[in-house]
Amino acid sequence: MTTISVASGKGGAGKTSVAAALAERLGPGCLVADCDVDAANGAIALGSTIRERGPYFAGPGYRIARESCFGCGLCGAVCRFGAVRPDGTRYAIVPELCERCGACLDRCAAKAIETCEKQAGELFVSDTILGIPLVHAELAPGGDTSGKLVAKLRSRARELAEDGGTVIVDSPPGIGCPVIASITGADLVVLVVEASSSGLRDARRIAELARSMRRELVAVLNKAGLAPETEDLARAYLAEAGIPLAGEIPFAPELRSVEERGLTWASARLAGEGGARLEAALRALRGAIDAIRMKKEEGKEKP
Amino acid sequence: MSGAAATTIAVASGKGGTGKTTVAAHLALAAAARSRALLVDLDVEAPDALGYFPGAARAGEGASASIQVPVLDEARCSGCGACAKACRFGAIVALGGVVTIDERVCKGCGRCVAACPSRALGERALEVGRVTRRSLGGLELVEGRLAIGDIRSTSVIEAAKREAAASGAEIEVRDCPPGVTCPTVHALAGADYLVLVAEPTEFSLHDLRAAAELASTMGLAAGVVVNKEGFGSADIRAFCASRGLPVIGAIPFSRERASAGARAALWAGDERARAEFERVLDAALAGARKKAAL
Repeated sequence: MTTISVASGKGGAGKTSVAAALAERLGPGCLVADCDVDAANGAIALGSTIRERGPYFAGPGYRIARESCFGCGLCGAVCRFGAVRPDGTRYAIVPELCERCGACLDRCAAKAIETCEKQAGELFVSDTILGIPLVHAELAPGGDTSGKLVAKLRSRARELAEDGGTVIVDSPPGIGCPVIASITGADLVVLVVEASSSGLRDARRIAELARSMRRELVAVLNKAGLAPETEDLARAYLAEAGIPLAGEIPFAPELRSVEERGLTWASARLAGEGGARLEAALRALRGAIDAIRMKKEEGKEKP
Repeated sequence: MSGAAATTIAVASGKGGTGKTTVAAHLALAAAARSRALLVDLDVEAPDALGYFPGAARAGEGASASIQVPVLDEARCSGCGACAKACRFGAIVALGGVVTIDERVCKGCGRCVAACPSRALGERALEVGRVTRRSLGGLELVEGRLAIGDIRSTSVIEAAKREAAASGAEIEVRDCPPGVTCPTVHALAGADYLVLVAEPTEFSLHDLRAAAELASTMGLAAGVVVNKEGFGSADIRAFCASRGLPVIGAIPFSRERASAGARAALWAGDERARAEFERVLDAALAGARKKAAL
């Protein structure tokens, strides 16, 4: 199995659209894991129907039993995350801010703190109009441990992946815990660089993270044509960093939300010179993925 | 909250790339024309707000965002393993009487320190990010930045919030991270009003739904700015109407605006946008006042 993670640092750079287009190009035998669990758009991008669903539990949290609390406030004093708030003459835990460390549990003089477990989200396996399975999730707003959920999604994707198949991981934006979980062990990280000064700045941060994790990188420039001077900076950076640039996808209003019409960038048939550039970029990315797969196969044959 | 505290407007979206930073930067500028204003970048994993203000001067050295991690005094340690048992994050392993601490996954809660019967654990500050401060005329700027490879975004967000609170600004505008889980929750906590930035795509609509749900869970009053209006066909306004969420502003899509955004250039001379941000600021301040009156 080969794992390709699509990442960008910046949100809205085009990760999901690139992931969907690559999935269409790779065709049957590949599988998509939408690991942007905070903003899960893979199901919209790929036109999916849920075939399997299961609850996600993040692990136990804490709550204060009101009737046992006598309002001493020791829990609030020990909490370093601001998750304990006065509630009248007693105290209450704000679940969205609670890191679930349990420090308050040890400190409570009234033994009023109890553990509680609440479903934090749901995991799905869906069929898509591309005939490619999609593993995805919805996390309840305000939940935490999205990194743990990403790990769960990836392990479900591994179970479902065919021998010699490819898993495409659509990573969340940022460089934090769910992103690290999304690129851990990836054979190739496709870096979607939005051709903007924010996009370049954030791409540099994720590239540095991926490098520190010893991941191989290939870049694609997206929304090209809005700020030529920024694009030059992006090309110069990639060349200097030794990250191959697969191609440049033009900023084209026609490409916006093609997924809503059941298409991906691989089937959108963008006209003219822009279409040719998009096609060349997708072909080059496909080539980079095939090269990684071949390398893996060769590695397997050798003892 | 004391009367001296700033009125805090958080700008968030659920989906990334809808225009949070652009809206936050322009709102902060509009606020600076009225009173002492501050823009704080709480998207600490991808901080981009300061990019809109290249002329801003550095104010001070910047501060370290740090957490307290345990330090073992081996001479005192009995190897009992109480610390490892207390840690919920798998940051401490006690094997055969030998205690090993993994600072990378420690959240700095201090539970292990309190749990140690031999008082063998002390603490030291571990830097997980940086907070910088800049100033541009009447606008103060604060940025939180997570160290690359670190996972403790929320600690950096809280450090940047503290720096912002200490500034004495009357209006604080927060540029929040995308998503609807822990980093966003920390960025929203303590805000008086939430401006949700959406674009007319199904992706954005889906994520706006989650962000609106989060706002309601947190008891935050919210209004929506439809950015890039006309650039897609998803009906953000119908969704807002169905949820009773006011649409407090709309910015039509134009290639010029997109191009300026790509260069992190402010929409200088864009009278239509300027007037719209005035309206958004009015609505946000009115929403915040309404909340304060309750």
